[in-house]
Amino acid sequence: MAGEARGLSLRQFKAILHKDIVMELRTKEMITSMGLYALLTMVIYQVALSQSGTAFDPRNIAAGLLWLAFVFTSMLGLNRSLVHEKDQGCLEALLLSPVDRPVIFFAKAIGNLIFLLIVQVLTIPVFAFLFLQQGSYAGEWWMIPLALLAGAIGISGVGTLLATMSVNTKGKDFVLTVLFVPLMYPLLLAAVSATSAAVLGGDGSVQQFWTGMGMMAGFDAIMLLASFALYEFIVGA
Amino acid sequence: MDPVLEEIYALVVPSLPYVAGAYAILWIALVAYIGMAYSRVGRLEKEIAVLEESLERRGISA
Amino acid sequence: MNRNILVLSMLVLGGVLTTVGFIMAFFFTPPVLGPAVTNEVGRILGYQPLFSQKIFYFHVPVALSSFLVFFFTAFYGVRFLMTKEKQYDTRAKIATEVTLMFVILTMATGILWTRFEWGRWWVWEPRLTTYFIMTLLVIAYFVLRNSIEDEERRATYAAVFGIIAFIDAPISFAITRIIPSSVHPVVLRSGGGLTGSQLAAFLIGLFGMLMIAYAIFHTRMREELVHDRLEAVKAALEG
Repeated sequence: MAGEARGLSLRQFKAILHKDIVMELRTKEMITSMGLYALLTMVIYQVALSQSGTAFDPRNIAAGLLWLAFVFTSMLGLNRSLVHEKDQGCLEALLLSPVDRPVIFFAKAIGNLIFLLIVQVLTIPVFAFLFLQQGSYAGEWWMIPLALLAGAIGISGVGTLLATMSVNTKGKDFVLTVLFVPLMYPLLLAAVSATSAAVLGGDGSVQQFWTGMGMMAGFDAIMLLASFALYEFIVGA
Repeated sequence: MDPVLEEIYALVVPSLPYVAGAYAILWIALVAYIGMAYSRVGRLEKEIAVLEESLERRGISA
Repeated sequence: MNRNILVLSMLVLGGVLTTVGFIMAFFFTPPVLGPAVTNEVGRILGYQPLFSQKIFYFHVPVALSSFLVFFFTAFYGVRFLMTKEKQYDTRAKIATEVTLMFVILTMATGILWTRFEWGRWWVWEPRLTTYFIMTLLVIAYFVLRNSIEDEERRATYAAVFGIIAFIDAPISFAITRIIPSSVHPVVLRSGGGLTGSQLAAFLIGLFGMLMIAYAIFHTRMREELVHDRLEAVKAALEG
């Protein structure tokens, strides 16, 4: 009986995720908008760094710049993903169907995670190409992907909860920003620290990397559990 | 007051404005907040008394 | 009526205790000593007393109280989600309001302290940063409330956000402390190693502040109840 229920939940989970991905493949809306947004952020960075002089090495702030781009693109993506659900009445339809609420949460969160990871993978080479031509990458090759993944899990998990709330408010994306940034602050701090250690290297960078990773893992575990537990109330209201 | 303390305090006068400022902000803010809350409660209760009275009178007259 | 008398006496007691703490802090506790003062040949003559440390006796009680009151935001949030009773939403809202008041006061006193100790108005130091984030979280809570019209939905969302924000605050504190910051490697000199009379002044201030927080909370609660009753009477008059 329990096995059967689990099988059903898994099928529902796959169905929701499948729907999101198929819709994206058809319209390419999320990836184009998030990708373009990231690219435009790079232009803004160029403007911001334009007066910093030749002695300034952008590598020192590369991690911060990258995560800044991810924060803003992920907020855009999260908002869009839930606005779609609401506008097309998908969320209501899902709620009427006998789908477990946690299944909805995980399906939406994983969908958002996939989109964010794709954007990250696309952004990094562009960023490196535009800003990191001189100087080399100091860490092990797997460090950056690991840090990106740990950060993205937290962002999409908690972000899904917050975006589900914010699409039902008057402020929508503004409310999402206001809720999202302070909640994500500790995660971002750890993410930038880990990523920066990987980019810059030097004494103690491996330890700094793992400290950051540990912090992110802790944040992800606690906050995902909380979001998971609270999601049911949000979709019920 | 302890004379030694008094002498020491003469040495630390430069920080006085900041310490005094901190305490002043704290006190003023708390007192203002509580005072406002109390005065609002008082006003509301007065309003209620008037309204309840008229409600009662209407109850009698009706 | 009994509750009102209790609240008023707590308020008075809190006022008395914080005043006693204040007097003790300034007139009876030994100052915390800072860097050594040396003569020309480098012999230590004594230590420079840190008068600015006196802010500690109010700053930390307010900070701790704000955190405790924030706990009640989450607590009443949980209670609301369990029972769906409106009173818990009101309680959570007021607890958050008191938290806002207290975190702002913590920030204000903290800023004045850093200004004197480090000569700068703002330092991204773990505690100040945490309180800055907490202030933003509390403001976000009210932004969220104000942008939802449906009463039950507003209460539910606010409860959820209150809980998650309360979980986030200590994480934020831990992470700001552990992550090495290359910009400002600063250590606060307060806390730890308080001597007897310093600890006494601090604790008296802390209890006083907690009583004031209790009194503010219940005064605001009373205001909300009276307000609700007023609305009910008005409705009865019109209907």
